[in-house]
Amino acid sequence: MSSFHDTVREAIYSTIVSTGAAPSAADVAGLHGADIRDVEAAFRALADGHVIVLHPATHDIAWAPPFSAVPTRYRVRIAGTTWHAPCAWDAFGIPAALHADAVVEATCAWSDEALDCGVVNGRASGHGVIHLLVPAAHFWDDIFFT
Amino acid sequence: MKRWCAARGVARGALMTLDQAWDLSRKWYGNRLAADFRRPTRDEALAIFASVGLTGEFWRL
Repeated sequence: MSSFHDTVREAIYSTIVSTGAAPSAADVAGLHGADIRDVEAAFRALADGHVIVLHPATHDIAWAPPFSAVPTRYRVRIAGTTWHAPCAWDAFGIPAALHADAVVEATCAWSDEALDCGVVNGRASGHGVIHLLVPAAHFWDDIFFT
Repeated sequence: MKRWCAARGVARGALMTLDQAWDLSRKWYGNRLAADFRRPTRDEALAIFASVGLTGEFWRL
């Protein structure tokens, strides 16, 4: 990745951490005085590198893992701020990325019961298991299904 | 689990405990916000999986 791609990546994550929403390519271009086409190309390169996930056939960010820019069934609360995670694994990824304890608000895929779990004093807390359907080698074949 | 998979017509995948999810997340995402972040290579990813006990066919890359 080029340094410009790193700049764009940092802008994406900075925004989603601080607001819960992903910036548009125009937002990042305006922030850095860059050409929007260069930012869109960087978005595409980051997506091709499996760093972010774009909505199909757009330059709109769906996920900057472990953060989701769209609502999901996995909500993560840290010190009064809530983010959405793309999946159960990433629900633990948010406190890992932010180096903080967290409350994970999720529901059981079978029963829809609320699951009480999270990270307390730097350790996982709660009960349950995470069921992954897609083998690791195929995670990115259809990341929205994974 | 069997009933859940049968109801959706999918094969059972792999299970991960919450402790494994947290350990994996710390190793996978702990530097995600760092200026020098880069995605793990294939071998690094396999080593991370193995270090938290995620081994076997499901976790091959």
